[in-house]
Amino acid sequence: MTEYTEKIREISKKLLIDKSVDLIIGFRKGTVPMMNEPCFIKHPDEVGRLVWDSHCGINLANYLPNRKERIGILAKGCDSRNIAIHIVENKIKRNQIKIIGIPCRGMLDKRKIASSVSGEIVEAVEDKATVKVSGNGFSTSFDKQEMLQENCKVCKHRNPVIYDELVAEPVPEQQDVDPYEDVRRIEGLSDSEKRKFFEDLISECIRCYACRNACPLCYCPTCFVDESRPQWVGKSIEPTDTLTFHFLRAYHCAGRCTDCGACERACPVGIRVRQFTKKLNKDCFDLYGWEAGLTIDERPPLDTYRPQDPNDFIK
Amino acid sequence: MKIATITKDAWPNAMEKLSKACRLYGPVKKEQFHSFEVLDNGQIPDFNFQNTRISPKFLVQPQSEIMFQCTFDQNREDHHILKEIPKSDSPRTVIGIRPCDADAFLLVKRNFNSQKYKDPFWMGAYESLTLVGLACHQPCTTCFCTSAGSGPFSETGLDILMVDDGDRYLAKIITSKGEDIAAAAGWTEAPEERGLLEKIGEMKEASEKKITTSVATEHLKNKSTIPLYEAAFWEDVSFSCINCGTCTYVCPTCWCFDIQDECFGLTGIRMRNWDSCMYPLFTLHGSGHNPRGTKLHRVRQRFMHKLKYYVDKYNNGIQCVGCGRCISQCPVNIDIRRVCELMNASETP
Amino acid sequence: MEQIGIEPGRLQFSWISSAEATKFVDVVKTITEVIRGLGPNQHFVKRLPKVA
Repeated sequence: MTEYTEKIREISKKLLIDKSVDLIIGFRKGTVPMMNEPCFIKHPDEVGRLVWDSHCGINLANYLPNRKERIGILAKGCDSRNIAIHIVENKIKRNQIKIIGIPCRGMLDKRKIASSVSGEIVEAVEDKATVKVSGNGFSTSFDKQEMLQENCKVCKHRNPVIYDELVAEPVPEQQDVDPYEDVRRIEGLSDSEKRKFFEDLISECIRCYACRNACPLCYCPTCFVDESRPQWVGKSIEPTDTLTFHFLRAYHCAGRCTDCGACERACPVGIRVRQFTKKLNKDCFDLYGWEAGLTIDERPPLDTYRPQDPNDFIK
Repeated sequence: MKIATITKDAWPNAMEKLSKACRLYGPVKKEQFHSFEVLDNGQIPDFNFQNTRISPKFLVQPQSEIMFQCTFDQNREDHHILKEIPKSDSPRTVIGIRPCDADAFLLVKRNFNSQKYKDPFWMGAYESLTLVGLACHQPCTTCFCTSAGSGPFSETGLDILMVDDGDRYLAKIITSKGEDIAAAAGWTEAPEERGLLEKIGEMKEASEKKITTSVATEHLKNKSTIPLYEAAFWEDVSFSCINCGTCTYVCPTCWCFDIQDECFGLTGIRMRNWDSCMYPLFTLHGSGHNPRGTKLHRVRQRFMHKLKYYVDKYNNGIQCVGCGRCISQCPVNIDIRRVCELMNASETP
Repeated sequence: MEQIGIEPGRLQFSWISSAEATKFVDVVKTITEVIRGLGPNQHFVKRLPKVA
């Protein structure tokens, strides 16, 4: 996907010269291998800074809420869905943004790549199908498809659903993937096995809230964990409090989560936090046929009442 | 200055002896990273790592630490009186800590052991530790310890410095605490000390040469604070930050904490948890005013604290040991090396 | 909640209007029996923090 870089720069330059936007939000090359840093540019001669490759997994929609300027923003499939959600939820206006849509073939999981080699990776170079990493005394190539982020592996919306410009032809959507296979497996466990699974999952949690902060949906002025009158959740690493934070955050994202993977990507201790939100995504799909962010013309099911809404769980 | 040699064959036996003499902590491999854990019953620490993901500062400042307890039971004489919880400060040995992390403790100690204030919890925990460091032969590309006041073979803050020498470890015993631990582990002195000292010196130089990045800090002290504070580059630096707090939690020199009270039934406790200047609540006043209400304020504050305020206050270098964890863990790749360069080179008087 | 291991039946929902007193009594009695059958809740209970 490095071939997108030129087109991105071209479109950005045009938008800035035309003054259709006040700034462009994109990525600049990171200072460590396999990372890029979100940045903004305001002048057409700064477009050379913008890059795009398979390490642009951060969801740029996270930077949109409450901004007042006119913004040009790069958006992959999942990002564009989050932008649609922001529009529906009134966090940004449609006419305030110019969405530079990027058909995505999946982002690479840098931690997975790092744990597949022994030794620190000093350089990572990618081409269309492979990524070659090298370090002190080793150099290995991996097939990109093997090293995708977990959410990218099961993604069914790789093309932007809303955009003003596309940087390339749409890519074919993955057809034969089951996004909820792991959720089903957990559903099949006994109650005590389920408890154990989730206790182990969050055992490393250090309550840093990186998952919450990386999530584009988490824009509450005061998060429920920061409330003190009353204090809903304790702030220590006590297991019950930690579990409460995670499942309650998942509830707040129910029907809104696009499975962009920003939470898992941000977690410093590698917790697979998507296990909480994926279950709710599956339920929304099964109960309401709803996938978040696909259109700006409909309100989400948890926002609206339809007579045929399932209610057999209410006695 | 004594040097002991321990063959790798004899290592398991030494670990068993040590784990009987005191509580032993060492790096253990978790799924994708290493972290310091208790080593039980001769468990061998895994030294096949560059550094742990989270710093060992939790050994001295646990993430959640109960300090006081009180009872609300009116039938007891001491009801509603906060009492200190007795802490077990029995001796602990940390084996395999990197020199940068040991230096970090000394940096933080300046804050918890000043003229005016001494934090008994922090000091009690710190003084119960014996630190057996492991020198770095292969620093990370994100390490910049040599320009941050530390180094891959730095000895300050350590009681013993161990160096991997192929089929054996060389252990340079620095303090009397180190001597006690060496004795407990059954480590004997090596006869050819002079040659070994030279060998360690050579390995140190080779390691230091491998460090490819550095930070320039020479002008920080002389800069005026206000123009630096108002510099234009903060907007660009802070844009990508998501205020997630990861940097502060993995950092060995960040020490901020928050005090919380919790109760259940008739018992109440007062504990302290790690806190982060990245969080909006950090400076929220009771009135509702927040002097650091925006992301830019908070990001700027963190770097100003580490690279300017600490420099001015203690006159002993930056509040950073160059371990590089914040660089490799930051989800949006904000790089303290870049910020330090911007600050050091900024055109302010 | 069942996904994270709360026993089915421990958390239940019911619409009861303030005019449906009989239904209220029935629902409360039924659920009380179900919960008694499940026993006291041992999981997801926060007492004092079990920390350092």
